[in-house]
Amino acid sequence: MLLPAELRGRLERLSLVTRRRVIAQWAGRHRSRHKGESLDFADYRQYVPGDDFRRIDHNLWARLGVLLVRQFEAEEELPLRVVLDVSKSMGFYRKAEIGKVLAGMIVYLGLAGGDRVQVYAVGGTSLQVGPAGRHLSRWPQLEAWLEQLPTGGGGELAPTLRKLVGEGTTRGALILVSDLLSPDFGSALDGLGIGAGGIILHVLGEEELDPGLAGDLRLADSESGGEVEVSTSEEAMRRYRAALEAFATEAAARARRAGLDYVLVPATDDAPMNVLSALSRTEALV
Amino acid sequence: MSFLIPAGFGLAALAGPLIVLYMLRSRRPRVEVPSIMLWEKAEIPVSSAVPWQKLRWTPLLLLQLAVLAAFVLTLARPFYRERTLLGPHTALVFDTSGSMGMAGRLETAKTQALSLVSDLSEANQVSIIEAGPNPRVLLAFGRDPALVTEAINSLEAGGGVADLSGAVRLARGLATPDRPTSVLLLTDGGSQPLPEEPVEGAEMLRYDDFGDNLAVAAWSLAPSTEGTTRAFLNLVNYGAETRTVRAEMAVNDLPAGSIELEVPAQGSARETTPIDAGPGDRLTVRLLDNADSLPLDDSATLIVGSAPEQLVSVLGEGSPFLEALVDAVPGFTNQGEGTPAIVISDGGPLPTIDRPTWLIAPEATPEGVTASQFAGNLAVTYQRPGEPILDAVDLSGLVVGEAQVVVAPRWLTLVRAGDVPLILLGEINGQRVAYFTFDITKSNLPVQVGFPILGARTLSWLAGATSINASTDAAGTPIGLATPAGSLARVTMPGGEVRELVEGSAQFADTDQPGVYEVSYIDAEGAVTGGPVAVRTFVADESAGASRDIATTGAVTAAEEASVRIREWAPWVIALALALMAIEWWVGHQRPFLPRRKVVTS
Repeated sequence: MLLPAELRGRLERLSLVTRRRVIAQWAGRHRSRHKGESLDFADYRQYVPGDDFRRIDHNLWARLGVLLVRQFEAEEELPLRVVLDVSKSMGFYRKAEIGKVLAGMIVYLGLAGGDRVQVYAVGGTSLQVGPAGRHLSRWPQLEAWLEQLPTGGGGELAPTLRKLVGEGTTRGALILVSDLLSPDFGSALDGLGIGAGGIILHVLGEEELDPGLAGDLRLADSESGGEVEVSTSEEAMRRYRAALEAFATEAAARARRAGLDYVLVPATDDAPMNVLSALSRTEALV
Repeated sequence: MSFLIPAGFGLAALAGPLIVLYMLRSRRPRVEVPSIMLWEKAEIPVSSAVPWQKLRWTPLLLLQLAVLAAFVLTLARPFYRERTLLGPHTALVFDTSGSMGMAGRLETAKTQALSLVSDLSEANQVSIIEAGPNPRVLLAFGRDPALVTEAINSLEAGGGVADLSGAVRLARGLATPDRPTSVLLLTDGGSQPLPEEPVEGAEMLRYDDFGDNLAVAAWSLAPSTEGTTRAFLNLVNYGAETRTVRAEMAVNDLPAGSIELEVPAQGSARETTPIDAGPGDRLTVRLLDNADSLPLDDSATLIVGSAPEQLVSVLGEGSPFLEALVDAVPGFTNQGEGTPAIVISDGGPLPTIDRPTWLIAPEATPEGVTASQFAGNLAVTYQRPGEPILDAVDLSGLVVGEAQVVVAPRWLTLVRAGDVPLILLGEINGQRVAYFTFDITKSNLPVQVGFPILGARTLSWLAGATSINASTDAAGTPIGLATPAGSLARVTMPGGEVRELVEGSAQFADTDQPGVYEVSYIDAEGAVTGGPVAVRTFVADESAGASRDIATTGAVTAAEEASVRIREWAPWVIALALALMAIEWWVGHQRPFLPRRKVVTS
């Protein structure tokens, strides 16, 4: 079971908020880029024949002598695409385990909000399309699919994500759960800057945040097989921390530039609550 | 230091590859991480592209070079030459004289010999010869270390004088033409000169440890004129301080008193003491609490022997009492023919005094005695106190019907009645004479309780010393046997050990230990008859513990060449190598001089 009952109860009381309007096929709870029938006033426009007389603002016509009709927000469902990185690097330091919990958490939030949730798994160059759902009744299928995902594969992340973003006509929000440990993580994030925004949950293991390596080592990349010789001196560790900080900073900057919220998540048991707190602070959750 | 295989040093060339290995860049342990993306930015170039690096003299390298050196040394088999006392055939002659018992000399010799034979090999043969009063070969041409050790351990210091000459002859007799024999004398030298000095083909290991020694130098029966047994004890103090010691005497292992003697340093003390013992009794003296360097001479034993029976002739009237008295006293008889040793003249004319004579109221008085008259009805009024003849004899009830009234100023009056002497002792013509001035049949003397004792004492006094030492000789003196045909001799040694001798043995020579040897004979039916009882005493000269060097010419013997032994250092070098390896292993795994490496994997 990915999510404990307590967490699920809490998630049911929360809603995802998108920064951009959504374009969807079905009515929902999220503001649409289309004007609709909701109670929320959106704008005025010139009256054209055929408009509903009931929407002519008579006060403005009296004061200004111009026929303007009132437009209201349309509320549509949020197409939510949850992408979980299951590349080989996610198999270290509980990242895959925690990543599945976080992905499940987002899925559960979407299903509880009546959004159309589609799950994906990216393993480097491979893309697995998972089940979709609009209601919590689909949660068991999506949960089971997430749970059985193995880690493996590697390679560049950007082409795969680009393919994912370009898929379909609906353009909703995208949640990416990944360690972003791919040389092209910047361009991958840049490519996500369309649609209704989204969230980058950047999962890193504790050993990556504070390495415990010591001595003269030959480090091998789990995905590419590349090797680098490292002497874990104080200077080398200082350089590593600087590189890590630059990495996180750049990821956050690129995410923001793409209109995405960014949350750096240490892969610990506290990760779900930390993520909820962070999203609340960014008002992505209400 | 020399080397058996100098070519082994060629392996020292392995040091080259070892150093080269240290100059090669070490292959770092491979650790798989999720990504090296961040580590690539942290990498600090630490080595050049070439596989070499500057040689760093680490403790590990030095230790490995030391281990290599130790093993190379081991393979080269370093050795040194050692001259061993063991040749192809070595006769170890052990002095087991009494002086070797002083201050553990023999034990030291045995320890040294055991050390010598501990690495006995096929190339060495050892003979063990005991140089006691009667030298004998304990082991000939022994190769088995166990047998040699057993023979050496069986050696004991005796109480006699070592016959080193005989032992050396015995050792030479073991030599064979094809095997040079060297003789090793393990001795304190002893006091007896060797007839042929220097001793060729021999070496001497000298033992001269000394210690204070207080010895029983003499324990014998003293001549007694009183007809009693008296023992003579002579103690000699070889120490530097005056010693006061108590000597306990025993008769047949039963305490018979003790005497305390003060023996001056380097001096002696003598004492003669009466002891209640008779023929056949075993007298022992033992020094109490005498912790000295030679325990063997702290005690001595003798056996009271008997003189041959002496013929007693009774002249004159005689009486049944006198006949019965002579018959009853051991050592005297009135039966047989020959010249009597003692004459008893009972009344009658005065006999010629040419032998000890017991005069009983003779008709004429001898020279020096005048008789004036007779006195009658006399009762004893005086009995000379402290007189050995009268010891334990109470004559207070003696009544004499008639006695000569004699005047004998040069005679010793033992008993008298008023002024009338009744019993006198004197000497005529150099012969002892006992003079009873009354006819014993005219007195109640024969019915007195003390009569037999008085009579026996009188006879013993007349006979002089009646007790002699039994067969007593120096330790090592063989005991002659008179084994009946078809019988076996059995000897009980001083320590209780019993030796069965083969049939026909004429003597028993293993008498090095001081003490009493009892011989018995066992016939074919198993009947046991007693044999001689002999005492072997500690030779007094050995108590001094004198030591001297014996001139030898061992260095020029043919055995010398063969007695050079090669001893390898290998055990020590191997031990060193193993120790270095252990240290190297510890340094290599515990890395006490390097930061600890923590490797964390997925």
